[in-house]
Amino acid sequence: MRIKGYILAGLLCVCVTGMHAQDVAVPDTADTRHREMDEVTITARALEKDVIVPQTLKAEELERLNALSVADALRYFSGVQLKDYGGVGGIKTINVRSMGSQHTAVYYNGVQLGNAQNGQVDLGRFSLDNMEEIQLYNGQKSDIFQSAREFGAAGNVYLTTRKPYFRKGEKVHAHGQMRFGSFGLANPNVGADVRLTDGLSLTMDAEYVHAHGRYPFRYRRVLPTGETAYDTTAIRQNGDVNAVRTELGLHHYYSTTGFWRLHGYNYWSERGIPGAIVNNVWRNGERLRDRNSFVQGQWQDRWRNRWQTRVLVKYANDYTHYWNYDDKLLPADNEYLQQEVYLSLANQVTITKWWDVSVAYDYQYNSLARENLLLVESQKTASLKVESPERYYRHSHWLSAATAINVKDYLRMQASVLMTAVNNKGQSDQVPSTKDKPKFTPGVFFSLRPFAHSSIRSLYDLSLNAFYKQSYRYPTFNDLYYTDMGNANLRPELARQHSVELAYRVESQKSKVESRVGYDRSASGVGNACGYDRSASGVGNACGYELSVSAAYYYNRVTDKIIAYPKGQQFRWTMLNLGEVKINGVDAKADLSLYLPLQFVLRTRLNYTYQTAIDVTNPSDTYYRHQIPYIPRHSGSAVVGLEWTSRRGDHYGLNYSFIYVGERYSQQENTVYNYVQPWYTHDMSLYGEWALSSQPSGASEHSEKRQPVWLKANIEINNLLGQDYEVIQNYPMPKQNVRCTVAVRY
Amino acid sequence: MHSSSKILNRVVGRWSLVVGLCVLLFSSCRTDEVVYPTIGTHVTDQVGTGGLYILCEGNMGSNKARLDYMNLRTGDYYTNWYGAQNPTQLKELGDVGNDVQQYGGRLYAVINCSHKVEVMDLRARHIGQIDIPNCRYLAFHGDKLYVSAYVGSVASPDLLGAVYEIDTASLQITREVRVGHQPDELQVVEDRLYVCNSGGYLTDRYDSTVSVIDLGSFTELRKIPVGLNPTRLRVDRQQRMWVCCQGDYKQRKPEVVVLENEQVVHHMEMPCANIAIHGGTAAILNGEDKELVLYATADYSEQARWSLAGYEHPYGLLLTDEGVYLTDAKNYVSSGVLHCYRYDGQEQWHTLTGDIPGHLCHVTGEYELHGDTAQQDTATHSPYITRVYEYLPGMGQFVNVLPKYEEGDDREAMCRKCEAAIAGNAGGVVSLGGWGGYITFGFDHAVQNGEGRDLQILGNAYRMTGSEIYGSSEPGIVLVSRDDNRNGLPDDTWYELKGCLYADPETRHDYSRTYTRAGDTLQNPFHQQPYYPQWLTEDSYTLRGALLPTQTETINGQVVQRILDYGYADNRPNTDTPGTSFDLSWAIDANGNPISLPYVDFVRVYTAVDETHSPIGELSTEITGAVDLGVGR
Repeated sequence: MRIKGYILAGLLCVCVTGMHAQDVAVPDTADTRHREMDEVTITARALEKDVIVPQTLKAEELERLNALSVADALRYFSGVQLKDYGGVGGIKTINVRSMGSQHTAVYYNGVQLGNAQNGQVDLGRFSLDNMEEIQLYNGQKSDIFQSAREFGAAGNVYLTTRKPYFRKGEKVHAHGQMRFGSFGLANPNVGADVRLTDGLSLTMDAEYVHAHGRYPFRYRRVLPTGETAYDTTAIRQNGDVNAVRTELGLHHYYSTTGFWRLHGYNYWSERGIPGAIVNNVWRNGERLRDRNSFVQGQWQDRWRNRWQTRVLVKYANDYTHYWNYDDKLLPADNEYLQQEVYLSLANQVTITKWWDVSVAYDYQYNSLARENLLLVESQKTASLKVESPERYYRHSHWLSAATAINVKDYLRMQASVLMTAVNNKGQSDQVPSTKDKPKFTPGVFFSLRPFAHSSIRSLYDLSLNAFYKQSYRYPTFNDLYYTDMGNANLRPELARQHSVELAYRVESQKSKVESRVGYDRSASGVGNACGYDRSASGVGNACGYELSVSAAYYYNRVTDKIIAYPKGQQFRWTMLNLGEVKINGVDAKADLSLYLPLQFVLRTRLNYTYQTAIDVTNPSDTYYRHQIPYIPRHSGSAVVGLEWTSRRGDHYGLNYSFIYVGERYSQQENTVYNYVQPWYTHDMSLYGEWALSSQPSGASEHSEKRQPVWLKANIEINNLLGQDYEVIQNYPMPKQNVRCTVAVRY
Repeated sequence: MHSSSKILNRVVGRWSLVVGLCVLLFSSCRTDEVVYPTIGTHVTDQVGTGGLYILCEGNMGSNKARLDYMNLRTGDYYTNWYGAQNPTQLKELGDVGNDVQQYGGRLYAVINCSHKVEVMDLRARHIGQIDIPNCRYLAFHGDKLYVSAYVGSVASPDLLGAVYEIDTASLQITREVRVGHQPDELQVVEDRLYVCNSGGYLTDRYDSTVSVIDLGSFTELRKIPVGLNPTRLRVDRQQRMWVCCQGDYKQRKPEVVVLENEQVVHHMEMPCANIAIHGGTAAILNGEDKELVLYATADYSEQARWSLAGYEHPYGLLLTDEGVYLTDAKNYVSSGVLHCYRYDGQEQWHTLTGDIPGHLCHVTGEYELHGDTAQQDTATHSPYITRVYEYLPGMGQFVNVLPKYEEGDDREAMCRKCEAAIAGNAGGVVSLGGWGGYITFGFDHAVQNGEGRDLQILGNAYRMTGSEIYGSSEPGIVLVSRDDNRNGLPDDTWYELKGCLYADPETRHDYSRTYTRAGDTLQNPFHQQPYYPQWLTEDSYTLRGALLPTQTETINGQVVQRILDYGYADNRPNTDTPGTSFDLSWAIDANGNPISLPYVDFVRVYTAVDETHSPIGELSTEITGAVDLGVGR
């Protein structure tokens, strides 16, 4: 069996390699290499400051991957486990290095997205269409010039939306896109960037998503004899979704050192919650309507290359309406309103060429009001005094101090300490306030690069990175105050991370190309592990390769884990600081780009994660030292893409991706009754991009020229083999499904 | 037995390329989902009468309601018993079990979040189901079943619950009556039905009444005020009702209220998570202080007070003639524990259960758990094995496990364990281990050589999906013997039943193997126990017999065997009755000459292949039972 497996795999490799000769794209270098100088500087500096380079997916890669939302894309990162309840509207959250989804912070254009109620951000709601870049930092962003709060989470996902780029003489960019797909998916998207003055620009983006969410799923079990025990196919119900997203951004680069920007975001949706499929229950009646709105501003400047300041402000207003009129259950109808005000001030001083120091202070105010509409209704009917909604408040303060030392790039070190103080308060006297002592959490990062200045550096790079970090995950309003489950005496959950990483990068020839203009989608996309925005030359028929490989080992420990625990009578639960988890893991990844003759490029991206995350709470538990729920020991992904660029600059690409999540357990005990099978999906996409108006060849980059209009078409087939699988037990995932996209860009 | 292969390595054959890649990368692939197994464990030698069903609730949304069974007559505990009886039930028993009771010859279980009452025979074989939304508890009277439910068949604007009346013959709902908020336990006393209205979902507005329903008109007569949030209601032999009120978990303390003639006659302020009444004893489980208090129902006097300090969450409770059964629900999301005590407080035994063992039902009366009473000639003979005389397996990965060897066991003890596994219709498994390993068994009568096939021997062979000729076949040769010396022991001449490979030129009739304790080095990572029979006092033993040529091939990455035509045990699936049956007329002597045996007293089976394959381990014949086809013929 095993030998046969190897042979078959070998055969597959041969097939894949034999396939190249079809179509590939080489970065088109004849186009636009230049962007506004100020931004290049800022970006470059930021990159240089990163001690440990994050995992990155850029817009061009995101377009190639079979991914509809940010959650789908994050599956391609190593060390990440996605919880996916299925379908377009199903909740999708991620868990980085097994520490729990609430240890992962998600930032939208640099400001954290919050949900004070349950601490989870549904990443299925964030569209990739407006995304320029997704980055995952383990530990923290290792650039010390950041807001205080950014030092606070164990894992950080940064979502960066498209920034406007204009070539000389350009005033307007616009794009329009239509996507159709399985489950009744209709997803139009329009957007425009307008240059108002030289430094001031406006971006607009709007998107509508509709899906009926019905898809067939199958449950089948066999007897030990191999005979079918049962085999049934049903249609997923109540999975419909309607959502509208609108965004507006104003960016002003007023000098070579400073800029400000303002970003408004509004998301409205209504959806069904399809629920668990259990014996005799094939549909569920829960519904959710919500609106998430926020406005955030950023101002940043630098003086005499010594002092940098960044100010962030945000106001968010989120409304959620949940109701369930399933006639088999008791009805529920609740409204929630959350508000958030956030202020951040960060400063960095460059003391000497090799020594930076930063200090930042953040403040955040959260409020949650919850109203039981059924109760209000009954009180009105009975002419009773209508109770005002329950309200909870939180004031949070973060103060950080950090320092970074750079010994001629050979050795970089950073140390940070964060003080966090969180106070919660309820409106009525019945709700106890919490006032914890401020908590201090340190973080230490370092990176050793022996070839930093050697002559071969540009072809080879080797780095050894390591970090240690502590972080707290604070109890949410639900943990503290939820009717049955609340417990105002909760302490924050502590995560301690230790990580060592070895990264190596090699390329075939020195071929440094200047940073490409972001709007040029042909720019090299594979985020290489060394973080240099350098793409191999694809000019003419030059051949070459880029390879980066890295492996990280980590040991994490989560203590005082907040878990739901039965209170003893009926089904009443409470939240307790009861839980301790030990996590050992290895993340390995490899990226290879081969630049082949005839303008073909073959890109591969491999990720593999091995994790043991065991419960070490109490030796007398039946699940002591068992793997915690939904953490597979093995998981990984493989992406192979072949691209081709024609002489006139048209691109074609074929992409294949494979995602594997190994066997897991749905509950704490690793028994046969809790066993969940591995799942793996094969996805394919095929795309083409055509310039509708030809460009004058040989035009100077700085001269005014006509902008081309690009047409792009993409077809994706997901779960190619139609595997019936579940990520979360009793939440069946879709079988084979298709999406088609047509986009026009100007 | 193939170790991992039977469960894990049923590879999706069509996509061999893909399979190859993921074998390379990750070593574990998705396979056919096999139904959840039933695992039997011998818990105690202190046996009693009847059986005990344990309904484990399972956490909401997990679909893990599980009906376990404790055979009190043998002391064996079986997990997922319902699953074993009803493997074809779509999505198993369901989501959140809430009550289980015996009534007449049937067993009824309420599966709350599957909105149904499951109706079974006393062996837990599915008979039917009654769909009732959000059903909670059961009561019986005459030919009617009464079920409380949090919602009525038509949604009520004031969120009132209902009680449904069901005809037990047709399993149809006949009548329905509105009661209070979230009705829980209910009881029939004479011609009236009493149900406690908890209001448990209405935080701060709990209900506090017991509804009285006239069974004739099926209408609510009145509501008796009791304490706040009543959830449990039991009747003692004086026809008084004990009602457990949970209070509001804040200011209002929990209490137990006793009603007689619909009047409150007694009141005790104490937490009562659960209550059970048997004879003149009422046991009240105080979940908060982790105590069980036993009262005399006659005068409410306290008889005993047991500390349950070692419990995490004492939960289910049942009293029988023989003892007190109490469960610990632990953290509600992992295995619970079932404890059995004598009335003097002495613990008899305990065993692990499913998640949240909440509801217990002692099944008594005339029911035959093993075997179908309707068909067999029970008056004279059992068609099943009654006795195991010898058991000596070849070294193998399931030796000391199937059956389980425990310190101190000798040959005799192992034979008794084999009986526990395969005698009667127990359906357990005995592994004969590597080549030559054997078992000798008999019946409570001699097996007659009648017309056609006489004896069926059951194993665990199966066909590969979609294939007629390949599968898991681990053939064992069958020998038979007559008790010619009349000493009742299998020490007489053995005759082989001639199978299809007897004359095959590759069959070796003079094969032997010597197994040594020293040679017991770990081979298969899935099975790390010693492979040498631990009950043997000698350090080596030699087995002799015939070796069949290998039938093993690899197909689509799966190690399988070509299924043999006839004449071997554990070669064909049990569903293939002719293929698993033997004719005593096939018997031959040592020289291969046919011999006529009018009957046999002993049957011996030994593993006839000597093969080990990665990753499945060695092939070994397994026996799961035998049937004398002549009984009742």
